[in-house]
Amino acid sequence: MRPRRVVQRILLYLAVGLVVTVVLVPYAWMISGSFKETLELQSSDVTVAGLRPTWIPRRPTLRNYREVNTSVPMLAYFRHSILISLGTMAVATVLALMAAYALSRFNFRGREIYTVSVLATQMLPGILFLIPYYLVFTTISRRTGVPLRDTYWGMIFTYTSFALPFSIVMLRSYMNGIPLEIDEQAMIDGCTRTRALWTVIVPLATPGIAAVAIYAFIMAWNEVLFASVLTGRVTRTVSVGIMDYVTATSSNWGGMMAACIVTGIPVLILFTAMQRYIVEGLVAGATKG
Amino acid sequence: MLGPSSARLGTKPGGTPVRKAGAVSGWSKRQHRTAYWMILPAVVAMMLVHYIPMMWGFYISLHDVNLFTMADWIHAPFIGLRNFVDAFNPSTTTGARALRALLNITLYSAVTVTAGYLIGLAVALLLNQQFWGRTFVRGLILLPYITPDSVAYKVWTFIFQSRIGILNRYLLQWGLVTEPPIWLIGPPALWAVVVASVWKGWPFSALILLAALQKIPQDLYEAARVDGASTWQQFRWITMPHLQSVTVTLLLMSILWNFNAFNQFYVMLGRDPGVAAEVPSTLILREAFTNLQYGIGSALSIILMLVLLVVTVVYLRVLRATAGAEEV
Repeated sequence: MRPRRVVQRILLYLAVGLVVTVVLVPYAWMISGSFKETLELQSSDVTVAGLRPTWIPRRPTLRNYREVNTSVPMLAYFRHSILISLGTMAVATVLALMAAYALSRFNFRGREIYTVSVLATQMLPGILFLIPYYLVFTTISRRTGVPLRDTYWGMIFTYTSFALPFSIVMLRSYMNGIPLEIDEQAMIDGCTRTRALWTVIVPLATPGIAAVAIYAFIMAWNEVLFASVLTGRVTRTVSVGIMDYVTATSSNWGGMMAACIVTGIPVLILFTAMQRYIVEGLVAGATKG
Repeated sequence: MLGPSSARLGTKPGGTPVRKAGAVSGWSKRQHRTAYWMILPAVVAMMLVHYIPMMWGFYISLHDVNLFTMADWIHAPFIGLRNFVDAFNPSTTTGARALRALLNITLYSAVTVTAGYLIGLAVALLLNQQFWGRTFVRGLILLPYITPDSVAYKVWTFIFQSRIGILNRYLLQWGLVTEPPIWLIGPPALWAVVVASVWKGWPFSALILLAALQKIPQDLYEAARVDGASTWQQFRWITMPHLQSVTVTLLLMSILWNFNAFNQFYVMLGRDPGVAAEVPSTLILREAFTNLQYGIGSALSIILMLVLLVVTVVYLRVLRATAGAEEV
């Protein structure tokens, strides 16, 4: 029995090692590329023995980081993304909180239909909304003079409604875990419903609310399709802006890899901080509906 | 409660702690009104971005909305189903590519979903074992999932570069190819995107499946071992049945997500991925925002939606037919 167990353990660790390697290889290549000189990157050639691309930069440099903002206005893109993502986070969280509370605590007419329609929108292709959305809002802007394309408000509004379906579902399932007696007790003690929500339920649901907030932030930070059409000079976000490093006329791979790291870091920090709650929420969203 | 898939799929969004009839019937109209006020902002937001545009989308698909009529598109001439016919007219670039795009996305989805699920399942089973550093690895595998799409797919673009990419270096070094392949142009492009998408997609499957695995009561396995069941038998008769409902939901979600795939193609291959890697989303985006044929673009996106609908219905039918005998 014992030797067989040892072999099993070794195989287990080999498999774990393989998984970890597969996950990490692209990150290693990204980090390695971000420290390479432009000359090294451009002259490397897989067919020439001395010039093969290597994992360790031949002459490591910080230039890509220092000049991340030189050819591409990355800092401006970063500012746009922060503003849009924070705005989406704030608005989506408040709206989702109210809707989730209503769905969890009231048995109103149309509740089921509403829940189903919320879920259904998630399944439809984004491009289906994009064309009419673009045309409708171009017309509204022309008639009323309120610009929505390439404005912070327009982008926050758009992303909020994209973050809402999943946020509502996630938060509702979290609130369903809070016993109804707690609201009732608060209301017997003389709270109004609104006060019961803010002073009793919100503190209890904080982890769920935080998970939803971070989900909304990350969703807005990562979105590509709508950003590629609706943002322009004023609001271009990092997710789209990152592509400016390698175009038909320039190929600054080192700069792009540095920008990739800079773009990924906020998401990584937020996610790590709230990992437990988000994972719970994701699992609940996928299995409980 | 391991049978929640029906809820997710929309037959009955269940599981609320709201009291049954007795308590509810006592509630006043005022409370109904409070509920409506609370969902109102969310409803308005989704109305304006989802439902209303969708209805206008049908309208646009039946009208000749293009560069010339765009300024006053509401009064664009009604042309019936001509946009739908034109969308498949082989004498235009778009028409020639429309069928190919649907074919490509089907192939792409089939491979990506299958590979993502199988890898996710294998890793979930692995992470369900006891070993040193398990918590760390469990957090680590989520990295691809949380990395922004544009970052992950740009890094893969870099890996797949023909002359300066790390992949071709090893392929040449190990003698698997003699010439460095050009991955991101022509037929191989689709497979390059598949590889990147699988890398990014499997952690989600692993996460969901692992959560389901951990809910299986351990005494089932103990009882099976006492009865002399082999590891394979335990997997086949205990693990798989318990994963069935979660698998159903997971696969359906993956299929829908992958059919809608846009980011990976746009980021890795650009606005025009070429015939061999053209997919509906990129085709529609160009038709609407480069060729300014909004009508044809809308018609194509409605066709994409209908295809998704058919896929969903067929999937659920097949499922019901096969699951009919077993109680899930």
